[in-house]
Amino acid sequence: MRLRPQTVKQWRRFRSIRRGYWSLLIIGALLALTLVAELLVNSRAIVVRYEGSYYFPTYAGFMPGSQYGLDYDYETNYRELAASFAERREAAAASGAEPPGNWLILPPVPYNPFETDFRDDSFPPYPPSLSTQHYLGTDVAGRDILARLVYGFRLAMAFAVILLLCNYIVGIAVGCAMGFWGGAFDLIFQRLIEIWSNVPFLYVIMIVASVIVPNFWTLIGIMVVFGWMAMTWYMRTSTYKEKAREYVDAARALGASSPRIVFRHILPNTISIIVTFIPFSVATGVTALTALDYLGFGLPPPTPSWGELLAQGTANLQSPWIVTSVVVAMTLVLLMVAYVGEAIREAFDPKQFTFYE
Amino acid sequence: MRKPALLAPLLATLLLFGCGGSEAPPPEPDTTTDDAVTLEETRFVDVLPTYDSVPLPDGLEWVTNEEDEVFASPEARRGGSFRTYMLGFPLTLRMVGPDSNGGFASYLRANNSVGLVAIHPNTLNFIPMLATHWAFDDDGKTVYYRLRPEATWSDGLPITADDFMYTIDFMRSEHIVDPWYNNHYTNNIVAVTKHDDHTISVEGSTPKPREEILYEYGFGPMPRHFHKLDENWVVDYNWRAAPGPGPYRISHVEKGQYVTFERVDDWWGNDVKYLANRFNPDEVRITVIRDMNVAWEYFLRGELDTHPVVMPNFWHEKAVGEQFDNGYIQKIKFYTDNPQPSAGFWLNMDDPLLADSNIRLGLAHSMNIERLLTTLLRGDYERLKMHHEGYWDYTNPNIEPRTFDLDKADEYFAAAGFVSRGPDGIRVRDGQRLAFSLVYGTQEHTPRFVLLREEAKKAGVELNLQLMDASAYFKQILEKNHQIASMAWSTSLTPRFWEHYHSANAHIAQTNNITATDNPELDQLIDDYEDATDKPTRVALAHEIQQIIHDMGAFIPTWKVPYTREANWRWVRLPEWNGTRTTDVLFDFMSTANSTGLLWIDEEVKAETLAAREEGRAFDPVTITDETWRIE
Repeated sequence: MRLRPQTVKQWRRFRSIRRGYWSLLIIGALLALTLVAELLVNSRAIVVRYEGSYYFPTYAGFMPGSQYGLDYDYETNYRELAASFAERREAAAASGAEPPGNWLILPPVPYNPFETDFRDDSFPPYPPSLSTQHYLGTDVAGRDILARLVYGFRLAMAFAVILLLCNYIVGIAVGCAMGFWGGAFDLIFQRLIEIWSNVPFLYVIMIVASVIVPNFWTLIGIMVVFGWMAMTWYMRTSTYKEKAREYVDAARALGASSPRIVFRHILPNTISIIVTFIPFSVATGVTALTALDYLGFGLPPPTPSWGELLAQGTANLQSPWIVTSVVVAMTLVLLMVAYVGEAIREAFDPKQFTFYE
Repeated sequence: MRKPALLAPLLATLLLFGCGGSEAPPPEPDTTTDDAVTLEETRFVDVLPTYDSVPLPDGLEWVTNEEDEVFASPEARRGGSFRTYMLGFPLTLRMVGPDSNGGFASYLRANNSVGLVAIHPNTLNFIPMLATHWAFDDDGKTVYYRLRPEATWSDGLPITADDFMYTIDFMRSEHIVDPWYNNHYTNNIVAVTKHDDHTISVEGSTPKPREEILYEYGFGPMPRHFHKLDENWVVDYNWRAAPGPGPYRISHVEKGQYVTFERVDDWWGNDVKYLANRFNPDEVRITVIRDMNVAWEYFLRGELDTHPVVMPNFWHEKAVGEQFDNGYIQKIKFYTDNPQPSAGFWLNMDDPLLADSNIRLGLAHSMNIERLLTTLLRGDYERLKMHHEGYWDYTNPNIEPRTFDLDKADEYFAAAGFVSRGPDGIRVRDGQRLAFSLVYGTQEHTPRFVLLREEAKKAGVELNLQLMDASAYFKQILEKNHQIASMAWSTSLTPRFWEHYHSANAHIAQTNNITATDNPELDQLIDDYEDATDKPTRVALAHEIQQIIHDMGAFIPTWKVPYTREANWRWVRLPEWNGTRTTDVLFDFMSTANSTGLLWIDEEVKAETLAAREEGRAFDPVTITDETWRIE
């Protein structure tokens, strides 16, 4: 694949901005890791060796305890299974018998984000502890905070990215059309967008949330309906600008159709604007979902969510690890996204490459 | 007086769970206009309505009750100021009409609705209040009252039979814009008759046992010299403080900020046996604090005198530290013997899955409520056994709740055809998963239901949590669109089976039969229960009905809180017996209807405590657990 020289230059420029570059690498790595979060943060073992067979419960279906010789038919508790294997090994070692070759590997964080873990002698929220492997402690219901942070992060990022795609497809299409056609179409859409922008979005969410329990897709739907306008203004302006350039006239003179002009000529030349906005839109998406969850209008419980953790944390300030975990995680992620955004903006800044006479 | 039925479950929830911080306070009224709060003037009517009297029938047997022990402390001292808070400012000072059913209404009701008679909080016998004597008619639905001649309104005018006659006209008027009261005073209380200036009779709609007649058909008077009823009444009286028969009058209203009550100095109840030594603070200030956690900080600083600590996190985690170790603030856990709000899961039997009793019973055995109570709720809450628990004689003592039991659940579900489990561990029958949606309206309950959901998976049941905004939640339940609803019904004097279990209320919207119970045998028993007028028959029928309800399994009882827990600065004093058998709130300055208002402010102790805090001196820490009225 050959990259355009300008793209190569932009990429070099981006790499030279160290904190933006490293932020991108870290976020990318985190996202890649969350894709396999089930292997890292999960109550199901990664691999179980039992009675000569191997089992891989992570992505397999439900495995009842009876499958491993336990006395129940519900989902195996692998932490208990590990303990019971160890016990049996010790018992065998003590009696001098051949130790059974059963073993299992648990994920580094052996909890899923839904299960409630209680101890006999005290009540949640439990503070962070290495021995119980609740590295960031538990929330008020005894659920592992790290697990909820990880799965909440994955959900929030997926939400932000899907929201961004939907918003941009609509926003770019409308904005481009407004700029390209201009005239009455532009005028009417401008007024429509102005009116639509004044609909109080939060009230709509509250009304919808009172009628139905919102799920992931309805939330995306509502937020797209009220969020596509922002991109239209930028796209309209830059389309207007590009449309007036000589290369568009040249393409038209060569007989290019309107769609060809828009998709082959104008859009590629506005790409820097779109790319520059992406990180900030991601940050907005994450913040929006967190805010809605915090207020209780977001995804239904028990979905792992940063907003829900934040609400718990602020209501239980005497257990500071809850609020600290989520605030630190959120600050770091938003900061890194902002650094990436800043670096992209620098890299795409036309002043680097243009001489004004 | 009962509150409108729709609000009853909400109020019960509030009582049970200590007014959750998530309760949205009502919007702040516009303070820039209409600032005139009329407090001094109490006579707006020139010509008072008067009513004709009808001679008393012969042979009435007047009864009263001066024999029971008093429950207020003779050591109580009048005086001082009591400071408490509310989560939002009231939208009106009216007791009826639009916006009058907010939290503040309970103060107005308590103060303005000193009833004709009340229930003794320990013996549960009726005791005289505004009426000195009462008598029953042979028709089984009419009761006669002799009014206390010395009783006056808080502005000094006497309370007479005409005020009671006027109350009926008032409550039936369309000008008050309050259909609930219109209906109650038309269809439940059918007629009020004046026999002379201090004798009235009240006729109810249906014959009932005598205790029920006194409870159901009693009411408090409205001042006829104050209310000028016309089409402007709702607006004109929005911020006018009505004189009442109770011990307090509103003395100052700072809109959006606070309301103060002052004690009526020469109150008629001062020398009445069961009212003496109660309602002791001279001034009460109720400040708006919109968040319970913020209010708690005010309390710790000594700017509020008491605070409820019923909720586990308050009792165990917040109510600790210096103020408690030094004994400035004391804690008390006081067990009561009261009808319990029926908190639990209500299964809609119109749902095809839940129509099968095997599934209902299997579900009951899949709910690990014991684990919930001992872990998340720290053993603070107790298992509720049944609907209508704690109704004294009326409660069937032989009913025990179904416990978490995977074998039994397996048996019942297998009988319903749910044998195999799907890839996610949830049982399936011909492709149909054993999944239910559980609708609830309080965010604080989420951790509890998350735990039950995880445990229910063990039995192969999926519970999908559906948290809804409070009003949408009630709407869904009352329109019977729920599968399983988490809800707590408020209590009454005796069990009310008709509204919850009679087929007349099944399968239709806006009734309290939210389980779609439709059983001819049960209908007959309920009809008999409603018609019976002697207590032993009713008690026997109640036990039989409760057994059928239990066997039906459409209600999975969850928790009860048979106590109140409160924290107080040490200058807020209580009698040595702390409270009464049926106390809802110990540190309640008013609440005439619940027969409390026992606290008093000890100014000397207050000065001593504040000085000690200044100098860093400590007292012995005090945590009281009073099990006098605990039932096992």
